[in-house]
Amino acid sequence: MLAIEVRELVVEYRQPFRPPVRAVDRLSFTVREGEIVGFLGMNGAGKSSTIKALMGFLPPAAGEVHLFGLSATDPAARQQIGFLPETALYSPYLTPYETMRLYGELQGLRGRRLHAQIEALLETVGIASKMHTLNRHLSKGMLQRLGIAQAMLGDPKLLILDEVSSGLDPVGRRELRDLLKAQHERGTTIFFSSHELGEVASLCDRILIIHRGRLIAEHTLSELNGRFASLEDYFIRTVKTGVDALTEEAAA
Amino acid sequence: MRVSTWQVCRATATAALLETIRRKELYVVLILMTLMVLGASAFRIFGVSGLEIFVKDVTFLAIGALTTVLTVLIAARQLPDEAQRRTIYPLLARPITRGQLLLGKWLAAFLMAGMSFLTLAGVAYGLLLLLGIPLKPIFGQYLLLKLMGIGWLCALVMALSVYLTPAANITLSLILAFGSGLFGRLLLMSHWEHGLNALWLNLLYGVLPHYDLFDMGQKVVYDWSPVPWWVVGAMGVYALASGALYLLLGWLRFRRQTLG
Repeated sequence: MLAIEVRELVVEYRQPFRPPVRAVDRLSFTVREGEIVGFLGMNGAGKSSTIKALMGFLPPAAGEVHLFGLSATDPAARQQIGFLPETALYSPYLTPYETMRLYGELQGLRGRRLHAQIEALLETVGIASKMHTLNRHLSKGMLQRLGIAQAMLGDPKLLILDEVSSGLDPVGRRELRDLLKAQHERGTTIFFSSHELGEVASLCDRILIIHRGRLIAEHTLSELNGRFASLEDYFIRTVKTGVDALTEEAAA
Repeated sequence: MRVSTWQVCRATATAALLETIRRKELYVVLILMTLMVLGASAFRIFGVSGLEIFVKDVTFLAIGALTTVLTVLIAARQLPDEAQRRTIYPLLARPITRGQLLLGKWLAAFLMAGMSFLTLAGVAYGLLLLLGIPLKPIFGQYLLLKLMGIGWLCALVMALSVYLTPAANITLSLILAFGSGLFGRLLLMSHWEHGLNALWLNLLYGVLPHYDLFDMGQKVVYDWSPVPWWVVGAMGVYALASGALYLLLGWLRFRRQTLG
């Protein structure tokens, strides 16, 4: 079954007295259940806009987005999804425990089950000792860990993570990588955007590269192995020309 | 499994109450009001007698003004704050609708503002008792009506918050709340001075928001007898109908609003 299905997606930002800015241009791709897919692109390429359209935050100007066969705007589709936004600043007046309780209750969780999940997730992301400290006293990295924990509430079947390693130190990145691998082994589908190509190379089954709103490359990592010095090398060559470096090389 | 509106309201209201207790603004307005009441009663030191009405007037003016400002500020930040902090995304990533979130946020704002008002009124009641100025039973009706007004004002401000920038919303809401007592007088002036048609007059009066109708402060100051309960009931119907209309208008915009 397809976890994500995007067909001919167009996302535009309207502005008064000016033509709309097209952030995503007829983008199509799919993610199968159980895959880990890295969504790559330069700043402003359209990654976050695509992810916001996936989550139903931005209404598409054209095209369709389906999550587990349901429309992205259908709240039922979001029952099975965990989402991490890019650098969210959680309420400074709540503690990580209270923040998790708020999101957990909105997920439909309650009572002991919710309490146990909150404790286990905060332990997993390494901020259990700060569980009852106000969020305003947490560092950026700790807030990112809190974000990852809230995304994992309710055991989602699909994790959509925007700039997942933003604000994390090297230890945090290693822990995150291990955490995502463990989630994947449990059958969770993961779709994430990141500028950390080493992380992408060590985690992903497949990568998608978006450039100026259009999908320009889609490969499994095994297809790239041995052909380029590194994923970074392939990525830079692709986004510099706007043409898939692997296709270009094959043609040459 | 869909999450019920009740669950959404309970979760957002619980978080909001925790925020209210931890924010400093309630304590600041409490200190301000106490200073105003004690300041007004200080005239006694100079041997001025019969100041009860004056002290009560200052007290209810302080409660009214501070409650209105707090209510507007609380309701105006509910959705824009979430958007600014980007926490609106993890909220809406849950299996809930935007309508449920709007309603939950309204309830949270109402509880925060209502709790602040009751705290202010409670402290004021205690201070007046200490000064030997008891209040008549109409004070109970004053509390009830003001709470209705707070719920109504929260709905108006939250609806405006999805159409306007936070600064514009706060300015307009404060004008509408503090200026609502003038609307009736201005319309009557237009009628007398410029012969404005009575039909238009009534239509305009009906359309304009009337936060002033929820304030019985002056009746408490002058020790009126309680008003008939049907009047309070009619105000409840007005608050419910126009408050629901404001929330509906807010929802119509919010449900399709681009976030990001």
